[in-house]
Amino acid sequence: MSSMEALLKDESTRNIRRLLKVVILITIAGAAVSSRLFSVIPLFMNESPRGLSETILGLGETVTFGSGTGDIGVWKSDDAIVDPWFNFRASKYLVKNGFYNFWDWFDDRTWHPLGRVTGGTLYPGLMVTSGAIYHILRMLSMPVDIRNVCVLLAPAFSGLTALATYLFTKEMKDESAGLLAAAFIGIAPGYISRSVAGSYDNEAIAIFLLMFTFYLWIKALKDGSAFWGALCALFYFYMVAAWGGYVFITNMIPLHAFVLVLMGRYSPRLYVAYTSWFALGTLGSMQVPFVGFLPIRSSEHMAALGVFGLLQLVGFVEFVRYQVPSRQFKTLLKALIFVVFALSSAVLVLLTVSGVIAPWSGRFYSLWDTGYAKIHIPIIASVSEHQPTAWPAFFFDLEMLIWLFPAGVYMCFSTLQDQHVFVIIYAIMASYFAGVMVRLMLTLTPVVCVSAAIALSNILDTYLSIKTPPTPTVGAPGADERKEKKPRVNILSAGKDSIVGIYSKASSIAVIAAFSIYLFVFVLHCTWVTSNAYSSPSVVLASRLPDGSQHIIDDYREAYYWLRKNTPDNAKIMSWWDYGYQIGGMADRTTLVDNNTWNNTHIATVGKAMSSREEVAYPILRQHDVDYVLVIFGGLLGYSGDDINKFLWMIRIAEGVWPEEVKERDFFTPRGEYRVDDGATDTMKNSIMYKMSYYNYQSLFPAGQAQDRVRNAKLPAVGPTLNILDEAFTSENWIVRIYKVKDLDNLGRDHASAAAFDAGKKKSKRTKAGKGAQRKLRVV
Amino acid sequence: MRFLAPVAGLLSLVSTLLPIALADSKLSKFTSLAAGSNLKGIVKLDDTLYTELTTAPRNYSAVVLLTALDHRFSCDLCQEFQPEYALLAKSWIAKHKSGDGLFFGQLDFADAKATFQRLQLTTAPILYLFPPTTGDNVDVAHIETPHQFDFTQHRTPAEAVARFISKHTPHTPPVSRPFDYVKFGGMAGLVLVAVALVSIAFPIVKPIIYSRNFWAAISLIAVLLFTSGHMFNHIRHVPYVVNDGRGGISYVASGFSNQFGLETQIVAIVYALLAFATISLAMKTPRIDDPTQQKAAILIWNAVLLVGFSFLMNLFKQKNGSYPFFLPPLF
Repeated sequence: MSSMEALLKDESTRNIRRLLKVVILITIAGAAVSSRLFSVIPLFMNESPRGLSETILGLGETVTFGSGTGDIGVWKSDDAIVDPWFNFRASKYLVKNGFYNFWDWFDDRTWHPLGRVTGGTLYPGLMVTSGAIYHILRMLSMPVDIRNVCVLLAPAFSGLTALATYLFTKEMKDESAGLLAAAFIGIAPGYISRSVAGSYDNEAIAIFLLMFTFYLWIKALKDGSAFWGALCALFYFYMVAAWGGYVFITNMIPLHAFVLVLMGRYSPRLYVAYTSWFALGTLGSMQVPFVGFLPIRSSEHMAALGVFGLLQLVGFVEFVRYQVPSRQFKTLLKALIFVVFALSSAVLVLLTVSGVIAPWSGRFYSLWDTGYAKIHIPIIASVSEHQPTAWPAFFFDLEMLIWLFPAGVYMCFSTLQDQHVFVIIYAIMASYFAGVMVRLMLTLTPVVCVSAAIALSNILDTYLSIKTPPTPTVGAPGADERKEKKPRVNILSAGKDSIVGIYSKASSIAVIAAFSIYLFVFVLHCTWVTSNAYSSPSVVLASRLPDGSQHIIDDYREAYYWLRKNTPDNAKIMSWWDYGYQIGGMADRTTLVDNNTWNNTHIATVGKAMSSREEVAYPILRQHDVDYVLVIFGGLLGYSGDDINKFLWMIRIAEGVWPEEVKERDFFTPRGEYRVDDGATDTMKNSIMYKMSYYNYQSLFPAGQAQDRVRNAKLPAVGPTLNILDEAFTSENWIVRIYKVKDLDNLGRDHASAAAFDAGKKKSKRTKAGKGAQRKLRVV
Repeated sequence: MRFLAPVAGLLSLVSTLLPIALADSKLSKFTSLAAGSNLKGIVKLDDTLYTELTTAPRNYSAVVLLTALDHRFSCDLCQEFQPEYALLAKSWIAKHKSGDGLFFGQLDFADAKATFQRLQLTTAPILYLFPPTTGDNVDVAHIETPHQFDFTQHRTPAEAVARFISKHTPHTPPVSRPFDYVKFGGMAGLVLVAVALVSIAFPIVKPIIYSRNFWAAISLIAVLLFTSGHMFNHIRHVPYVVNDGRGGISYVASGFSNQFGLETQIVAIVYALLAFATISLAMKTPRIDDPTQQKAAILIWNAVLLVGFSFLMNLFKQKNGSYPFFLPPLF
């Protein structure tokens, strides 16, 4: 035993231990990366027989893309899993046209007829990163395709995130806690959800940047080093360029500094670290065109500026106090700090009220005033990611970490150095945000991993120790001494006495065994969650058949492919904004609105068209050059994320702009129900969204038996009629339905009367045909 | 017959002028009524006045509130809306001494049963807006049938009615709420009391504020609240428990993204228990001097941890039926 200890403590084996650590870290990072790849592999290796259309589609796709870009490997359809599509398109544009053209990119294939000044309205970090990797790999003569870079970027960065979390946690406790934290973040579903292969969103790199910036901040603060502060500012700049969530850092670091000042922990280290971060970071962030002058003009950034000012004041006062050691003077100076701080806060408020400084933008404001978005900005409230989080979601994404988390926060209080204050603040803020918005679970996950690792590593430290303390004899002087020694005032109640150690081997083993089982279950849980919930790209719906095999519902791709092949290149597709990126990317057609919801009025226009009668909708469709309308309908399959369920949001958003023409009330029955069956209101039944969803639907069922499986409603026996639209395409499971907008009538009639006339003619034709048949029969 | 032409011309002139004259006389009448009303700016109507005010021709806009203020009818919304309406009328008359073509009328059920019967109204309050029928702002669609204000959709009626009026007429009535001295006084008093309390109690509170245990407790409570879905309850206004339809109560909501108030409290308590067990194992038990005591403590906390975690997984399985994992003792 002692030789073992000697080996572990020995100077000569230091290098071996270091190597071991590196190997473990690399293994963790590799596991993190591969867990994200593993989760999507079944999808591509799935050679089980699918529907005929699917096979044909798959083949067709291979041919198109294969001949078009000249490379398609085993991943015959990896283009379909890059999500969101827009980022991929932007990366392709960047690689093809170079950086400066990318800046000036005006995209006329979205937001028809407005177009979008894309270069100036996006966070370019993600595309620039993959572009840089692409060029570096090419330089090393590795001929990769930008698509592969995009698909694999998120897993690669999750490996880096594990590293950053290790470094961060190492600053909090020690290396063993760091390794645990890295392992946790590597497999925690809360982070996997946003970083599986193919998820090519800004968050893919942002979490790494977040953790690394925080690590650099802690490092700068600990050392009081301008060098680390500048590095922190550099990565902060990278973060600003990559994700709108950079505001979280912009407020976390000042909050930390502010709390430290309040706790009386001002130090020159804090001053140096903060000022170097703030000055360089702010200048850096202003270089991103989309951010521009926001850092000095908007409320989100004012906290950072205010704390910067406060630190100057406190620094000055500390300096003077050092020079002039007089008690009265000190009080005076303290009063001065208070007055100046209050005054400058008042000036800030005044500037905000007078409009020089923009108030909190709706997205951030709705985090504080949780009812705000629903009333004032329905477009934010309508996104499913912006809903509040129910407790199962926390457990689902974090499992055992969720209860280790508070324990770790408590343990941070026991040592409570400057860096622990940071973890505590981060924990509280992030859990609040994650509670308000499902999406922000992502920012909570790192801190949960860190503090859970601190807690678990404390347990392991205690119970893995081989040393057992000598059994105390009753009344021994040592015991009393220990009790008396610790009347220290400011200490946690759990940490009052000094540590003895664990006497019994058996209890050590019991605790370690229990925690090993928990960890084992945790790994199983993570695998289960990943393979069930986060393994299929959002464009493909995976379901389980009764026999347990995976069934893939591929209606989206089927429909987009149809659009690509059967519509003119310049066709304009109208759909709800959720599908804009996908249509733009996979069908390569111009859309009216897409997931970059920059223009609320334009989205409301689409909402108005969808919720209006045909006569009202038709002029809107014509004015916007719409050729095809695409709706998502889940009634046949029971797919609840369809347009009829999103319809209320369309109505609300449209009502926000045209309160006179679209009224939410009209879509509810007098008893306040949202119905699609016989009891639906006339406004509902006459809206083109309703008509497009249920057009011809009853033909699938015996007469009068048409059933909507999402809303569990029996539909009217007579289906809706459509005069201004022609059904163009309906996918295998009826999820995607595409309609062609009719041209103006040749004779200048309105469509309803033209259709009525045609219907009358059809009748007479049928009788004629009958006659013809009879005559033929006679001839034979 | 030639002399008839000027007569006919005169007649037609009269027929066009007569409504104008009639409207003008109504305008001046209601202007004086509004100015002389003891309810500031509101014209108290009865059956005849109502008919006179609302029938064409009108060269003014009229807002009429049909209400039932008498307590016998127990119309809560009427009572609630009355001060708002009075405020709106008062704000208007304060800015526009002579009415300027916008009148606020009020018709109480007690004074005008006939009108209510004639209009076949069974509910109150009802707010009508009669736009002008002559002049520049004629709204042809609403000569006979007025605009009706929708009470179901608005929270601050005075402002909402003002918006409603400005949408349908050229007038934009202001809403100037009088300064609430009581509220201001209350707030100022509260602040003073708070300041006094803080300055008196500071020496007593100081050790608490400087205490780590205090802040640790606050932080843990916040973290536990937020991670157990409290914000969801707060935003969605979920029920605390619901009737399960068989006479009992169900305290666990079915469905993965759904929860009840009591359910989240149970979850928070379980989280707290598990965290506390972990803290005890990591920090408290190694500080116990007595070996037997220590052994017992470790055993107990270990058991608590196992049972608590098992319960939590079981609870989660209730929410998500296909969850395959469990820990003993609860399966």
